[in-house]
Amino acid sequence: MKKVFALAVVLSMIALAVAAAPKPVTITHWYWADNPKYSAVMKEMAADFNATNGKGITVVVQEYPWDGGGYSETLFRAAMGGGGPDTSSAKLTSTPLFVSNNLWENLDKYINRWKDKDQIDPALWKTMRDASRTKNVFLMPWTTQVLYVYYRPSMFKAAGISVPKNYAEFLDACAKLTKDTDGDGRTDVYGFGMRGFRGGHEPWGSFIQARGGTFADFTTAKAVAGMQDFIDLFKKGYVPPTAPMDGFNEIIANFKSGKTAMTVHHIGSSTGMIDTFGDDVDAFPFPGAEGKWTSMGDTENVMFRSSKNKDAAFEWLAYLAAGKGQITWCAATGNVPVSKAVQKLPQFQSSRFMKVSIEGAPFAGIYPVLDTTTEWISTIWPNTIAAALQGKISAAEAMKQLQTGLYK
Amino acid sequence: MGRKRNPWPYLLVAPALLTVLTVVFIPVVNAVSMSFQSYDLRRPSRIGFIGLGNYAEVLSDPLFWQSVWKTVVWVGVGVGFQFLFGFILALLLNRRFFGRGIVRSISLIPWVTPGVLIGLMWRWIYDGSYGVLNDILLRLGIIRDYVPFLARGDTAFPAVILTIIWQGIPFFALMILAGLQGIPEELYDAADVDGANGVQKLFRITIPSLRNVIFVTTLLRIIWVSNSVDVIFNLTEGGPAYATQTLSVYVFNKGNSLNLGYAATMSILLALMLSSVAVVYLRRIFRNQEAAR
Repeated sequence: MKKVFALAVVLSMIALAVAAAPKPVTITHWYWADNPKYSAVMKEMAADFNATNGKGITVVVQEYPWDGGGYSETLFRAAMGGGGPDTSSAKLTSTPLFVSNNLWENLDKYINRWKDKDQIDPALWKTMRDASRTKNVFLMPWTTQVLYVYYRPSMFKAAGISVPKNYAEFLDACAKLTKDTDGDGRTDVYGFGMRGFRGGHEPWGSFIQARGGTFADFTTAKAVAGMQDFIDLFKKGYVPPTAPMDGFNEIIANFKSGKTAMTVHHIGSSTGMIDTFGDDVDAFPFPGAEGKWTSMGDTENVMFRSSKNKDAAFEWLAYLAAGKGQITWCAATGNVPVSKAVQKLPQFQSSRFMKVSIEGAPFAGIYPVLDTTTEWISTIWPNTIAAALQGKISAAEAMKQLQTGLYK
Repeated sequence: MGRKRNPWPYLLVAPALLTVLTVVFIPVVNAVSMSFQSYDLRRPSRIGFIGLGNYAEVLSDPLFWQSVWKTVVWVGVGVGFQFLFGFILALLLNRRFFGRGIVRSISLIPWVTPGVLIGLMWRWIYDGSYGVLNDILLRLGIIRDYVPFLARGDTAFPAVILTIIWQGIPFFALMILAGLQGIPEELYDAADVDGANGVQKLFRITIPSLRNVIFVTTLLRIIWVSNSVDVIFNLTEGGPAYATQTLSVYVFNKGNSLNLGYAATMSILLALMLSSVAVVYLRRIFRNQEAAR
């Protein structure tokens, strides 16, 4: 009898253990990577999460190209077509599109019971909420990138100038750094690497706000003055003549080849810059005058409403936001962590580019997140800017077109 | 009592018919339906029937008319030069010379290369900082400084047209070459006996014999080039300042920005324009079929 009882107890315990064991689930995650190294890091992170989460969760990461913002369109089409992943990296500017089409999951209930929610700055939670134009959070913060100006100290030294402390000095530096180094009558080094194609609205915004303009109304005299500065840099030959079609790859290639002395990008490029120049590359926050602004690049992660394993999906999002994934990704890419505990780690306090990013953070912001923003960024802004740079329209006309395009 | 119908022909045709209905007919009906709706996925709450609203908006859009004009130039110059150079290449490839097979194979490369790859390749060729075209022109002393071909309004459109010409020459060459090989040698022998020179033989024998080939090939190419997006999009995305935005690229850009109603309306209008070309093509085909019976 005792044997039968013991057997029954053992069998019951096994049954309970089997029932309590987490059911294996698979989560598909989409992301983009700026280079093969970051791609490898993401795969390592997924492997680490799969091995350590202890809840039977397997994350399958799938990489898609950023494509100057085309990623968001690819993701949207996939989701609208009934496909798409469980979770994905995303940008704040995509929020209205996905939220108005009921594609993203409201994360409030998951965040409320998340033990590390206080690791994220309340201001960042507010930004997430504001982007959705609801009281809910649909995006899990991941990393931020504050745009700043990369420069070559050796070129500054040769030109006899120091790091610009204000906007006027910056414009002056663009002129003084532009040089015909071999005396053949052709410009060999341009002072500034202007991004006139897709994505160029971010550094452009610094010119507008430096003059005291705002994004609420592009047609004010101050905003137009900023636009005129932008045009003048091109007309005076202080930026490469290819600027109207120069995107991310072009401005980085021009800076790395020594064709430009300064350019604007974020810390994500710092690893490549150091590989190319060693100590002969540094950065400073974009200087201001009447106003001061720089773009806060952001990358968040989202969960799709169509996901069948939402609790597991949130485990992965939490790992990226405040877990080991946050440390690994930010250390590899140089992005600014969103987790306060991770920010305090020594490895993030010692980088000179991180220091400049943190200096720029107080005046970093984003463009108005409207349902027109994506088209404005990808089509309207580059074509309007090209027309202005080519002299087909004036600064005031360009700003009027940009105003109409964003606020139609 | 009626004759019993054999179901087999219908059953055999059914899969093809179903496929065509699914991948052609339904999307076309859907596009027509969208063109009468405010169908902007960025504003899903406003999706609804608006009658001819999209058509009125499109027809009063200056960018639409600019794109129509760009399409006319893009097709006219692009297909025109494709035909001209394709014809010359076909005449050359029809002659006997050492290595003709290899030359024929190589000349097909632009045609078999995907449009996306062509766009990326030519983007680097035209590059204003590191492009090989600038390097060659500079070394030859034709230019004094690098020209940002794709960043200037006056050079960007000619540059993309040159690219599509390069891509399309082999198609014309191939089709015309096939036509040339069908012309009986006796015609040329007879012309020789009559003392005709090369130009006379070209205009009196070769071109008249190729009339059908030229006609069909040109019409097909007009339709394809009008609808072509890949090359332009990968070179310039329609910029700078909409300088290279043909109608199909405009449709693509609007579709990408999720204003599907507007994009569908422009697609319908483009289809109507092209249908005039297609009607000529189809009438010709049917006339030839009638003549062959």
